Amino acid sequence: MKGKLEPSERERLVEEGKSLKESLVSMEEDLVKLKDELQHVAQSIPNMTHPDVPVGGEDSSAIRKEVGCPREFHFQIKDHLQLGKDLDLIDFDSAAEVSGSKFFYLKNEAVLLEMALLNWTLSQVMKKGYTPLTTPEIVRSSIVEKCGFQPRGDNTQVYSIDGTDQCLIGTAEIPLGGIHMDSILLESALPLKYIAFSHCFRTEAGAAGAATKGLYRVHQFSKAEMFVICRPEDSEFFHHELIQIEEDLFTSLGLHFKTLDMATADLGAPAYRKFDIEAWMPGFGRFGEISSASNCTDYQSRRLGIRYRPSEPLQTGPKKGKANLPATKFVHTLNATACAVPRMMVCLLENNQQEDGSVVIPEPLRPFMGGIELIKPKLK
Amino acid sequence: MSLHKLRLAAAVPLTISTFSSRLFLKPFPNTLTLGLFSRRLQQHKPLLVRAFSASATVQDIPATQTTVSSARPQWKASIDFKWIRDNKEAVEINIKNRNSNANLDVVLELYENMVNLQKEVERLREERNNVAKKMKGKLEPSERERLVEEGKSLKESLVSMEEDLVKLKDELQHVAQSIPNMTHPDVPVGGEDSSAIRKEVGCPREFHFQIKDHLQLGKDLDLIDFDSAAEVSGSKFFYLKNEAVLLEMALLNWTLSQVMKKGYTPLTTPEIVRSSIVEKCGFQPRGDNTQVYSIDGTDQCLIGTAEIPLGGIHMDSILLESALPLKYIAFSHCFRTEAGAAGAATKGLYRVHQFSKAEMFVICRPEDSEFFHHELIQIEEDLFTSLGLHFKTLDMATADLGAPAYRKFDIEAWMPGFGRFGEISSASNCTDYQSRRLGIRYRPSEPLQTGPKKGKANLPATKFVHTLNATACAVPRMMVCLLENNQQEDGSVVIPEPLRPFMGGIELIKPKLK
Repeated sequence: MKGKLEPSERERLVEEGKSLKESLVSMEEDLVKLKDELQHVAQSIPNMTHPDVPVGGEDSSAIRKEVGCPREFHFQIKDHLQLGKDLDLIDFDSAAEVSGSKFFYLKNEAVLLEMALLNWTLSQVMKKGYTPLTTPEIVRSSIVEKCGFQPRGDNTQVYSIDGTDQCLIGTAEIPLGGIHMDSILLESALPLKYIAFSHCFRTEAGAAGAATKGLYRVHQFSKAEMFVICRPEDSEFFHHELIQIEEDLFTSLGLHFKTLDMATADLGAPAYRKFDIEAWMPGFGRFGEISSASNCTDYQSRRLGIRYRPSEPLQTGPKKGKANLPATKFVHTLNATACAVPRMMVCLLENNQQEDGSVVIPEPLRPFMGGIELIKPKLK
Repeated sequence: MSLHKLRLAAAVPLTISTFSSRLFLKPFPNTLTLGLFSRRLQQHKPLLVRAFSASATVQDIPATQTTVSSARPQWKASIDFKWIRDNKEAVEINIKNRNSNANLDVVLELYENMVNLQKEVERLREERNNVAKKMKGKLEPSERERLVEEGKSLKESLVSMEEDLVKLKDELQHVAQSIPNMTHPDVPVGGEDSSAIRKEVGCPREFHFQIKDHLQLGKDLDLIDFDSAAEVSGSKFFYLKNEAVLLEMALLNWTLSQVMKKGYTPLTTPEIVRSSIVEKCGFQPRGDNTQVYSIDGTDQCLIGTAEIPLGGIHMDSILLESALPLKYIAFSHCFRTEAGAAGAATKGLYRVHQFSKAEMFVICRPEDSEFFHHELIQIEEDLFTSLGLHFKTLDMATADLGAPAYRKFDIEAWMPGFGRFGEISSASNCTDYQSRRLGIRYRPSEPLQTGPKKGKANLPATKFVHTLNATACAVPRMMVCLLENNQQEDGSVVIPEPLRPFMGGIELIKPKLK
């Protein structure tokens, strides 16, 4: 229509233009809706799976490593709840009145033990080049979703804040994933390795029965979490580094545990591969999960928008500018529990109890607790 | 409206209901219910419907006045109304001095009405009992019939009056709960400027170079990240990084160990609590400008201070005198909406939504609370002196006391980056304000009389304990002080000596090579 035209030709073109415009507007609307719909259903497609992961349910998980053996007791042992009462360490009853079930107060040496566990864990992991962080515990719900969790809906694990779009975190993995969201990192900045300490809040909706006793399943707990952002070719390496760190930590504390390669039905949607560590809990008479290390490859980074720009330009030449920059790629993210305090307490109290009712503090923790070697029954 | 009319009309339900409706029509000042226990409006309707179901004379209540009496209170404070009535001048002066919204006249009037209605109810009950007694004897049929009628009529009046009594008591609770605690005679009367300086320690450090504020130091030393947190969570949230994490842990570890030496029991607490506990401690979980985050779909809230779950530990209990004093040092994260706070007083770490805090809490006998208030402030002053801070301790004036505090000492430390003093701790003696709401009593040890008879009659009456709370360490405020005061010309920050052993011996936070 920019050229010279007969009036009738011009009129015909104007009509054609209008009709095209109407069709376009309508189609573009449909396209937006289709894209939204596609996002909505596609987001639930789980991550691919590492070829070595056993296929099947819980029973198919493979044991990668086993450390230690169950301690032989020559006296009637107590579970951690009884020890907690007798040694005046844990108060569930007052908390039930003040807050509800699955809440608790720690008292006396248990407070020192929690602080020692976190201090020691932080110092051990920092030695491996991890940067210490503390994180917000209230986050926007969109971040929770981008990490692969479901903040809304029945049986959600997530507490929401009234009157806002904010939630409480169930793990520091969430605010850690959020730090670099919608960013392009330099390849030279990778890997980024964090050890973060936070309180975690979980509704535990739908969890019931014996697997909820005492400190094993609670609504609020302290946790030290490791988080790695790396190049895709390095994530397998870091998955092994993370599980090695965990195994070293728990071995140092004298725990008896096994490392499991979780089977396909037990992986969360984000995990390409997941190693869980289950430790022996004599009070329960079974193994209980104390940590989990996941390689999420690019599942979270595609949602959080975390990319990196490879260092080497694809071609050198006289022309500079964006055309010469290598295309960005999605990073891989990994997360692993360094210390979930209540589960560790169950292990330490139950495994380290003595006939006289006292509990031995593992050697590595003593310097972080003012040298205390023993939690002794208190005179009444 | 006087109750004399009521007494005459006791047997006539119609007038009772009229009285009820008059109760709700009585104009209460708007300020009374706003910002206090502003109940959710949807709770009002069912009660009003119930109130008028007994009477044919349903009256239309103008919408503005339906905010008056709302849903039944979930809990009751054991308020000493007699004492308030007998000391009403002092209570009134106290209310004025504190700029409180409490309306003493309404409270006293409702109390009078309640007492009179109570007497009336008792009188009617006695009459009904008499009628019942008479009916046990031998009677003429007409006499019996008359008594039956009388009995019925008395019963109806009683039911109606007892309903009114319940409503009156609820109303009384509702308005009386806002009466603030009495005030220590030495507390200065007036606003912020009237607070008295009790002690001043140290002096502002002289800098011979251009100083940075804590935000700049936080950026330059890669210690604090507000920007990522703004994306992830919103403003006034932050990540601590590197040495700042170690510094937080050192502050809490050191503080805990120092305070434990003074006989305080260490605790960690739940950070989600039922909203009724928050109210019983003297805070307002609901309503505009509340400091309290609520959890969706529950009656639970996030704590703004460990004082709340600490107060809750012994609620609805009778402690032995020999168990007192109970002294706790508790570590928790705290969450505050900071709604209504704006301007320069919100920069950086000074005002944030989430922070770590070590809080001291004491439960003791009434005669000991003054002693423990001084013990708590001494502990705080010793801690901050050890860290090398320059600070002053203030005896807060009446208008600056929260409703629960009988007396409050605040410590303000010098923050060179702000160029002014900023509050780093607060120590309150709440006497029996919280314990009357939380229901924490103790039984004195000595029996009132010894004698052959054992049993409940010989046990001395329980009394309400006194509670006190004091900040041992509010981490972000301490960080502002330490970063800004201890900075050096080369951009590094010196770690105070007492903290070094708790930080793996680090003496200096140095700029990182890039």
